[in-house]
Amino acid sequence: MAYIRKRNRRIFLIFLLPAMLVLFLTTIYPMIYAGYLSFRSYDLAKLFVPRVFVGWSNYAEVIGSSEFIHSLITTFKLMAMTLSVQLVLGVGIALIVTQKLPGMPLARTLLMIPMMISPVIVGLVWLFLYFPELGYLNYFLSFLGIESIPWITSTNWALWAIAIADIWQWTPFVMMGTAAALQSLSPEPYEAAMIDGNSRWDVFTRVTLPQLKPVLVSLMFLRAIDAFKIYDIIFVLTKGGPGDSTEVLSMFIYRQSFTFWRMGVGAAASFVSLVIIVVLITLFFKSLQREQHA
Amino acid sequence: MSAITLNNVIKRYGAVQVVHGVDLDIEQGEFVVLLGPSGCGKTTTLRMVAGLEDVSGGELSIGGRVVNDVAPKDRGVAMVFQNYALYPHMTVRQNMEFALRPMKLPKAEVDRRIGDTAEILGLSELLARRPAQLSGGQRQRVAMGRAMVRTPDVFLFDEPLSNLDAKLRTQVRWEIGKLHQRLGTTVLYVTHDQVEAMTLADKIVIMRDGHVEQVGTPEEVYGNPRTTFVATFIGSPSMNMIEARVDSGRLVAAGLSAAIPARFADKVSEGQAVTLGIRPVELKIASGDEPGAMQAQVEVTEYLGNEALLDLRVGSHELVAEVPADQRADPGDMIHIRLNEAAIHLFDTASGQSLAH
Amino acid sequence: MTRPGLQQKILIYLLLAIVLIVFLTPIYLIASSSVKPSPIMFQRPPAFFFTPTLEHYQDLFGMRPFGKFILNSLIVALGSTAFSLTIGSLAAYAISRIRHKRMNDVAFWILSMRMFPPIAVVVPYYIIFKATGLLDTPFALIIVYSTANIPLTVWLMKGFFDEVPTALEEAAAVDGYGLLATFWRVTLPLAAPGLAVSAVFCFIFSWNEFLFALMLTGSNAQTATVAVMSFWSSDAVQWGRIMAGSFIILIPGVIFVLTCQRWLVRGLTMGSVK
Repeated sequence: MAYIRKRNRRIFLIFLLPAMLVLFLTTIYPMIYAGYLSFRSYDLAKLFVPRVFVGWSNYAEVIGSSEFIHSLITTFKLMAMTLSVQLVLGVGIALIVTQKLPGMPLARTLLMIPMMISPVIVGLVWLFLYFPELGYLNYFLSFLGIESIPWITSTNWALWAIAIADIWQWTPFVMMGTAAALQSLSPEPYEAAMIDGNSRWDVFTRVTLPQLKPVLVSLMFLRAIDAFKIYDIIFVLTKGGPGDSTEVLSMFIYRQSFTFWRMGVGAAASFVSLVIIVVLITLFFKSLQREQHA
Repeated sequence: MSAITLNNVIKRYGAVQVVHGVDLDIEQGEFVVLLGPSGCGKTTTLRMVAGLEDVSGGELSIGGRVVNDVAPKDRGVAMVFQNYALYPHMTVRQNMEFALRPMKLPKAEVDRRIGDTAEILGLSELLARRPAQLSGGQRQRVAMGRAMVRTPDVFLFDEPLSNLDAKLRTQVRWEIGKLHQRLGTTVLYVTHDQVEAMTLADKIVIMRDGHVEQVGTPEEVYGNPRTTFVATFIGSPSMNMIEARVDSGRLVAAGLSAAIPARFADKVSEGQAVTLGIRPVELKIASGDEPGAMQAQVEVTEYLGNEALLDLRVGSHELVAEVPADQRADPGDMIHIRLNEAAIHLFDTASGQSLAH
Repeated sequence: MTRPGLQQKILIYLLLAIVLIVFLTPIYLIASSSVKPSPIMFQRPPAFFFTPTLEHYQDLFGMRPFGKFILNSLIVALGSTAFSLTIGSLAAYAISRIRHKRMNDVAFWILSMRMFPPIAVVVPYYIIFKATGLLDTPFALIIVYSTANIPLTVWLMKGFFDEVPTALEEAAAVDGYGLLATFWRVTLPLAAPGLAVSAVFCFIFSWNEFLFALMLTGSNAQTATVAVMSFWSSDAVQWGRIMAGSFIILIPGVIFVLTCQRWLVRGLTMGSVK
């Protein structure tokens, strides 16, 4: 180890360099560029207006606009809806599929499929299910006595329509992570509880959950980071509508930049979103490090 | 010319020094064992010889050449690792071939060496197998074979037997000894097992806390330990150590006293705190009226077949005696014992150094 | 855990059945609708037994570009995979072997690059690629996807390199091999499963990606995901074609899940689950 450490350190730094360089050029540099744009008027719709330095005015416009605030609230609302359901469902399903019964490994595998499907395809198949008049979802629900729901055409339901598609795709993620954690738990506390005669519920809340907690926290952070970036499913299902009922932050940025061609404003909004994501990522790594030290 | 010379070799990790100036001379063809408890710096020393650790201070020579800054591959050494370090994705033959490749030998020579080595080690039938398909003992032999094909100037062994079960360990130990006799290559061997050291070594280097405690033949380190550490580390069961004081020409300890053997007479001074060492076999059962006999209470008896170990309480001291099985006593018995005076070791308590020199 | 009794077993399997139906129905719908004749596409109750038709697939490939779009997807996915694997595994090896307290920070920094919202950098990408003439070329997407794939490769491969015992590398060093030869002949072959897993993850990510492909390509370099989406137009929704295209796109992901699901945990949870 020391041999490798000292004599070869220079070679290792050379190994590291290309990756660092590429990541800098393709991620950090564009971000800096976005920062630069956010201080300029870059309005492609007004071709003959010079692109000048405008100071904080893009930021002032973004932060002062009710649309932006609304999109931010919508983003967090969607995040809360999806994360809470994914957490409960994911843990519940994990408890089922980790039972030592025939067929469970296969069930676990099958349930992982949604995660590996392109979000566009997820959006399209749920569009197929939600489709007004034709979609099968309302037909299936009618058997449960639920009346026809205007999924993507009503401002009340559209956000739920998106949440359900996301829940469908990513509950397996929580399930998979929880199942892996469950299977790595030592059986001894359970055997002890069995001998002591604790109830199942007691065992679950007092023995299982506390041990799962660090993993669940990490999984939720990863979901939060992803939920913050959600884009494709919304693009397919509602494009932010009806009205602005599903206009999350990434849709806001998209519309400012590519519908209204106000790149400066889009960049300013992007930068605000970067700040938020940096906070989330930092919290995630903190929780991860805490877990590794524990 | 010495095969390996360590001249005040030091190893430091940052501010922490773990090997404090080791001096060692290894002759051509010698089998030298570095022995000591874990953390004593023996493996670090071996790895410095291999070139896997940088030398922080002092001078390390192999074959008369200073190799402090020479890469491991250019030192002419071969090493057998504790966990064998066999390449799992290669067959036995490929493992050996891989070790030979850098030497750029003609194909015929490579085949000859592998064939010969496999023959010697009884691996001929196993050449096409992968490490995962081998037993622990076989893997061990492949690791040795991989080192042997290179016909190095020096073999380095890092606790090569620690992953084998007791029976296999004895057998492989014997094979290593035989191999050394046959090849005559210089060997530097690290272990914490004193039996391995005693049976294999021409020369044992006993280390503790990064210092060399004693260098000597197995007979020397057993019969003439230089320090209390060596005295208690070598030999099983351990040597009994009794804190005593020189008082009016006698060795006096709580509840027992003994005459000072003549050979120590001019080495001690009145009032000096000394440690009296006596091996369990040198505690003899005596009758009550013999001169020097001491009363002892038997606390535990361990029957070992030919011998028995008696845990004795003599005054305030707890001593272990190894006696012929037919002389054993039962727990609770009061018996008499005497020290074999000729076998007494004396150490200066303050320094821990033997007084025999 | 306690062995469930018969009643509990029945309950467990009942719940499992519901879960499986909910999570697998959409996938079944994609597969079945892709071979369902258009007239019965939305028939109620849904037709389970019907004569399958390949008309949608013929439609799809009859309009020649879809083959080209799949080819674009393949070029971009394979290109980005090869590129990310090469520089990602080198970096991973360095991070795995350099013992330095800042190395953890470097690893986290690299990983965090994957977590930034794509939408936040799409504007700069658009402007940069437009300025350099790379807009609407596979090259642009290869670079962009690598920003996500390199961190993933580094993260995965670091784990695999960590598991290669350093004693093997030391043995090679004593046997006369330099660092590069040791890496190439000993370490990399032993981490080969990691390379395979990383490759599959990179491939699937690139293959599935939509946002960048939509923004940064036009008719020339358009990928399959964007093409499928383009069948969705307000006047006439061509569901048959959409489902046929969707089915083709989801095949690699499904194969991946069925063949190497045990690696999924490692690849997706970023070290939060061992």
